[in-house]
Amino acid sequence: MTEVLLDWQDSERTETISVPAGETILDAAAATDIGLPFGCRTGACGTCTARLLSGDVVHHRPPRALKDRHLADGYVLLCIAEPTTDTHLAVGATVQSELVPNPWK
Amino acid sequence: MSDAEQPAESETHDHHDHDHEGPGYATPQAAIEEAEPEQTAYVMGLHVGQDVDAPDFLAVVDVDPDSDTYSEIVNRVQMPNKGDELHHFGWNACSSSCHMEGLERRHLVIPGQRSSRIHIVDTKERRDPELTKVIEPEEVYDHDLSAPHTVHCIPDGEILISMLGDADGDLPGGFLELNDDFEVQGRWDPPGEIEMNYDYWYQPRQNVMLSTEWAAPKTYYPGFDLDDVEDGKYGQRLNFWDWEAGTVEQTIDLGEDGLIPLEARFLHTPESTHGYVGAALSSNIIHFHESDGKYHAEPVIEFDDREHEGWDMPVPALVTDILISMDDRYLFGSNWLHGEVWMYDISDPSNPRKADSISIGGYFGDIEQVQGRDTVAGPQMLQLSLDGERLYWTTSLFSSWDNQFFPEEAENGSVMLKADVDPRTGTMSLDRDFLVDFGDLPEGPARAHEIRWPDGDCTSDVWQ
Ligand code: FES
Repeated sequence: MTEVLLDWQDSERTETISVPAGETILDAAAATDIGLPFGCRTGACGTCTARLLSGDVVHHRPPRALKDRHLADGYVLLCIAEPTTDTHLAVGATVQSELVPNPWK
Repeated sequence: MSDAEQPAESETHDHHDHDHEGPGYATPQAAIEEAEPEQTAYVMGLHVGQDVDAPDFLAVVDVDPDSDTYSEIVNRVQMPNKGDELHHFGWNACSSSCHMEGLERRHLVIPGQRSSRIHIVDTKERRDPELTKVIEPEEVYDHDLSAPHTVHCIPDGEILISMLGDADGDLPGGFLELNDDFEVQGRWDPPGEIEMNYDYWYQPRQNVMLSTEWAAPKTYYPGFDLDDVEDGKYGQRLNFWDWEAGTVEQTIDLGEDGLIPLEARFLHTPESTHGYVGAALSSNIIHFHESDGKYHAEPVIEFDDREHEGWDMPVPALVTDILISMDDRYLFGSNWLHGEVWMYDISDPSNPRKADSISIGGYFGDIEQVQGRDTVAGPQMLQLSLDGERLYWTTSLFSSWDNQFFPEEAENGSVMLKADVDPRTGTMSLDRDFLVDFGDLPEGPARAHEIRWPDGDCTSDVWQ
């Protein structure tokens, strides 16, 4: 069991959840009635993207929605991510939108 | 629950002695003449990709000008799960099933683009539709498919859905077939016929189907990255199929002219081999037709990139939707980034002639205010009345792409707008009395995507 601090990037909101071994952060949040953005739940769409502020996670499946540069920047996919240590994460829909900027701007 | 409990005896199709018993209209002209003006619209409503913790929904919109609730969302069917990204949807039956006695155009098949979940909604009560069945993603993944997109009923009560990825959200995509009880029948295509998939349209009397290409779900889901274009991860091909055999007979590589070919529309006349594809990133409209036993395709409308003050590179128009009026006279389309809706006269299909356009403000032109409400994003999914006199559109493209290009859409929600069209003079005017505000819903602002009419529409009905 690890403790995960969820920090909504766009607001003051924070929540702490406990994640049992073998479970994903998205499922553990849902089990405590905390709604986080998600879509495919298979690591393909990136809707559930969060950014690691401290701690570590492992992905249960290949995080296909993230490119190497995203993984290097600490982005993780909560639908397939299990924390291996106590963790602090930036969450909320705006984290996903950082992955790809407007290319013409 | 089958809509085809008493199917007619199978018969050869004789169009000179057209005994019309099934759903829809005998001909496109009959659809124009016999259809009542639309009173109800079904519109995809979404919360995915926002900090609104609620499922996506089917919105029932009142488009009857004589009603007290005109231009309001009068009902909603919420999906049972969050995160679907409802996108395109279709009917269990259309005019292509015109000989299926007992079959009704009654059930909407509503896929979740991100979730790969497929919902069946019964619209027997038009203003009070009901969710009757859900096909869970695992059943779709079992056929190594994901990311459902275009739904067409195919003759005999079956339903075909284009699927953009394999079970992992990678390539290749393919097609999933449902039977008339909305059970997964299996994969329609022999795997490996195509790599990428997106929209498709079939013209049964010509035994042809055309499918287009977006990209692998894992490529387009997170947002639009120019690196992916450079790496060849976006589509540029048209795939022409033998409709009965389910095999690709001809592939046309459009090259630079046809980057991201999205919506595919054949003319409604069932004999016609002409049609159009909107190449979103190249900002071209591609005209295709058959001659000498082969299909040919070339750009016939080209929208120029525009310089945007303070931006590094010229911005493409991004043609995201096109449609053909039921009488095959006009082609309508939307330039999402440039913020324009346009109409071209296609009486001579190889030489479209510009008729009119309306700028509502995307990144260019003035942001229009309708009923005191800013339009926020450019025009996107279109739907035209069967008589060709009213054009409606919504403004959301895809949650992650919206967040990238029009982030205000997540905060303020989409709008649905309307223009009055005069087919005689080839002109359009924005109806300033009509606004459906998806920004003002109990759970929070929502996006709005595809629009359908209960009695069939210009982007779903096919004739045999
Ligand atoms: S929900 Fe799609 S990647 Fe996590």
